[in-house]
Amino acid sequence: MRRWLPWPRTLAARLSFILLASLLLAQGLSFALQTYERYNSAKSLMLSNFEHDIDTSVAILDRLPAAERAGWLSRLERPTYRYQLGAGLAGNPMTADHEPMSVKSIKATVGARYPVTFETIEEAPPHYQAHLRLSDGQPLTIDVRPSIMPLSPWLPLLLAAQLAVLVAATWLAVRTAIRPLARLAQAVESLDPNHHSAPLEERGPTEVAHAARAFNAMQERIATYVKERVQLLAAISHDLQTPITRMKLRVEFMDDSAEKDKLWSDLTEIQHLVKEGVAFARSTEPSREPAIRMQLDAFLESLVFDYLDTGKAVKLSAASELLITSRPQALRRLLTNLIDNALKFAGEAQVQVQQQPGGRLAIQVLDRGPGVPEEALADVLKPFYRLESSRNRDTGGTGLGLAIASQLAASLGGLLRVSNREGGGLCAEVELPAPTSHQYGVPPAR
Amino acid sequence: MDAKVDHVLIVDDDREIRELVGNYLKKNGLRTTLAADGRQMRAFLDTAHVDLIVLDIMMPGDDGLVLCRELRAGKHRATPVLMLTARDDETDRIIGLEMGADDYLVKPFAARELLARINAVLRRTRMLPPNLVVSEQARLLGFGSWRLDTTARHLLDEQGTVVALSGAEYRMLRVFLDHPQRVLSREQLLNLTQGREADLFDRSIDLLISRLRQRLLDDARHPAYIKTVRSEGYVFSFPVQLLESPS
Repeated sequence: MRRWLPWPRTLAARLSFILLASLLLAQGLSFALQTYERYNSAKSLMLSNFEHDIDTSVAILDRLPAAERAGWLSRLERPTYRYQLGAGLAGNPMTADHEPMSVKSIKATVGARYPVTFETIEEAPPHYQAHLRLSDGQPLTIDVRPSIMPLSPWLPLLLAAQLAVLVAATWLAVRTAIRPLARLAQAVESLDPNHHSAPLEERGPTEVAHAARAFNAMQERIATYVKERVQLLAAISHDLQTPITRMKLRVEFMDDSAEKDKLWSDLTEIQHLVKEGVAFARSTEPSREPAIRMQLDAFLESLVFDYLDTGKAVKLSAASELLITSRPQALRRLLTNLIDNALKFAGEAQVQVQQQPGGRLAIQVLDRGPGVPEEALADVLKPFYRLESSRNRDTGGTGLGLAIASQLAASLGGLLRVSNREGGGLCAEVELPAPTSHQYGVPPAR
Repeated sequence: MDAKVDHVLIVDDDREIRELVGNYLKKNGLRTTLAADGRQMRAFLDTAHVDLIVLDIMMPGDDGLVLCRELRAGKHRATPVLMLTARDDETDRIIGLEMGADDYLVKPFAARELLARINAVLRRTRMLPPNLVVSEQARLLGFGSWRLDTTARHLLDEQGTVVALSGAEYRMLRVFLDHPQRVLSREQLLNLTQGREADLFDRSIDLLISRLRQRLLDDARHPAYIKTVRSEGYVFSFPVQLLESPS
């Protein structure tokens, strides 16, 4: 099958097309039918009037004394035909297949009593004449100028109005059908099980309200599942802490040996895993920490100095003199994870701040470590993902550090991006909402 | 061994943990008493003097936070408290410190770390004659155009903007605020600033002072807050006000 026009892609266009086409067709059909009916009945009425009138008029003219006939002609005249005494104009004899309806009527009435000839006159507008002789021998010509009944001027207007109503009704119907769908799609799109989203309005037509209720129920179920998962993780890890504490304490009573050291590092590893698991579960929960306005420089310096004070090689470059509004604990944890990651793989880390063209703020943690294979870049932010090369937990960690950082960045209204650096190493960039202001300055106390 | 042996009371509902901790501390020269809950703790405190209380937060009945607040309100307000918490969470730390704990340790912990913290807290309390500890109970301290939030451990400027402090900077500032308008020698400062990361703190006092001055927007050549006293040390030159709540 060949398609002349592509089938429209949007539901709105399809519905509009179907509705509008079918309504137009139905409306057109009924309009045509009505017009045809009216035309027919009007025509038959007109013809019967015509027959009656022409019969009577010819009879009157026949009875009148020849001298009075001319005086009556104007009284018998009608808009589409009139009478002339005389042979009339010369024309072509009418052929049978071009006979108008009125010719038949004349033939049927006047023609029954007088011999009538018909001639078409080639004038503009074209008309025809019927010639006959009255009973006293005087020639009579009936000049007929058939004309179509003029269309009422309001009819096209009415048609236009109807069309307008059709289009408006279609638009309304399509909108009514599409709007809730669009709203639902938007709600599904913005659905985030980690953060409580506002429920969809359960109003409108039955089907829409039903769909909204179903969606809200689903949203609630997802939230419940997520919450249960978090609670489970928290509960398990909490209950694990007591036995781990006991074990660690017991190990400390053991005599120094290689076994003791191994046991100790195993326990430390379990403890780390439990801690990170809880941290990850928590990072998906909505935070109760309030956002505060703070100096970005002091914040980053305090973070970096804490590393320096414990002998870690962390560098901070460039002062930004920015004030930001953020949640310091979450941001600290996020940056700590990134810096720890850099220290683990590269032994050093560099922190720098950039203001992006859109006004947003980017805090970058850079290292010169081995980086991440390009194909794995998208995966390193997923929970429990570890690079194959670092499966060994001595370097690989729990696979949660970056996942936690990514979650925290999202909870701060930002985004965590990881990329390989030119010349080797990794760049972890936290993009945060635009800073509050560009300047600060507190006058020294005096 | 010292003539006086420090007496530590360990309050934890887990029998094994409190016995293991008790044994370890005893092995390291401390006197220990064990209590399973708040009832036993109160009963013992009524009869004897202790130098430090190790208090678990998560306990059935009265939990550690309730007990800590009770201690701080009663006649044992001077006894240092070290909290054990199962949650490595900033809010827990803040609540614990707000309730008046002197330090906290996250479970699972190493016994030797607990011992180090106990010794640090004991040393800190010894170093400070009681009348000098002005900032102990205040959540907010005011000086000059600054305020220090002692639970969140950051500075607030006049506009209420937060200026973060590193761990060492905070400890140093706290020492100054606890001893305002009093000359402190480098040695004293070093001793007092050594917190729980005693072995990790190896930056020189002078460097820390210059960082702190920078934080306070103090001009190094004509400092207003922390003044240098030639060949003696440093003095914090502003009076310190205890503010109840952040404004």
